[in-house]
Amino acid sequence: MPMDRTAQPETAALAAEVEGLMSAPEPDGVFRDTRECGGGLLLAALLLISPPTPRPKTETK
Amino acid sequence: MTEQAQGAAALNAVIADAASGIALALRGEGDPYALTRTLPQEDALSPAAVRVLGADALAPYALDGGRGADGAGSADAAMVRQALTAFPPGDDPAAVSTWSYRGLVEATRALLPAHAAQLPPAPDPADDWLDTEPWPRLSHRVSQLASLALPGLAGALTDRLSGRTEDLARGFVRAVRRRDWQQAAGLGRWLARLPQTPPSLGLDSGLRFVQQMSGDPRAAVHLTAARTFFGRGR
Repeated sequence: MPMDRTAQPETAALAAEVEGLMSAPEPDGVFRDTRECGGGLLLAALLLISPPTPRPKTETK
Repeated sequence: MTEQAQGAAALNAVIADAASGIALALRGEGDPYALTRTLPQEDALSPAAVRVLGADALAPYALDGGRGADGAGSADAAMVRQALTAFPPGDDPAAVSTWSYRGLVEATRALLPAHAAQLPPAPDPADDWLDTEPWPRLSHRVSQLASLALPGLAGALTDRLSGRTEDLARGFVRAVRRRDWQQAAGLGRWLARLPQTPPSLGLDSGLRFVQQMSGDPRAAVHLTAARTFFGRGR
């Protein structure tokens, strides 16, 4: 969406934005839950080592 | 989008544009630098962007022979003065805000000495946190002051930070692992300036990695400054 740069925000609001940008709090980190990752890995491993799906036997001539 | 959110997004866009121009000038590319060429004088958001960028707004003037575009110094200094007047640190200012304000005043005096008259006095910011903050919080704050890591600027702050180089190195690794590229770039710039950065940190590869991963223009300013002024991250 194109930005309307002619819109003049109020001075106080702008000053607050400036302060906020200069001393912004640290963003929360994104951390993976080890147990969740372990569960996912186990599931993937089980799927990989599972026996193949049974198929109907093809008739041999 | 609400009016406030649109205002914040517009300011962020102006800051990003200016940061791209500064990074380009620090790489020695493009036309001779002028702050007023990067940020239009008629845009009401320009002084706000200068205040947020702090001393980095004038960083290209610190290059060897970085005289800037012909006749730009006067207009650039006027824009800085406007930023300092319009956005002084508040009544109960954050330490970062006061340090950054001081950095902008010092940078104007050092880099545009012919036009530095009528600048407001540099405040005396609180500095006890430099010794007392635990390393993750120290790293976050120091990264927000990366614009002060310019040659000849903030010597006293640099001396104080030298005593906590290892803490900042820890913070750099933490920021990279958190994928907080702006913090990593800011800390990397400080570590490039500090004399006792441990070689085991692998700062040069770290800075190159942050450059590969980050697309943020302000991070690009820090990385380019680390390379241009302190020769790290090549």
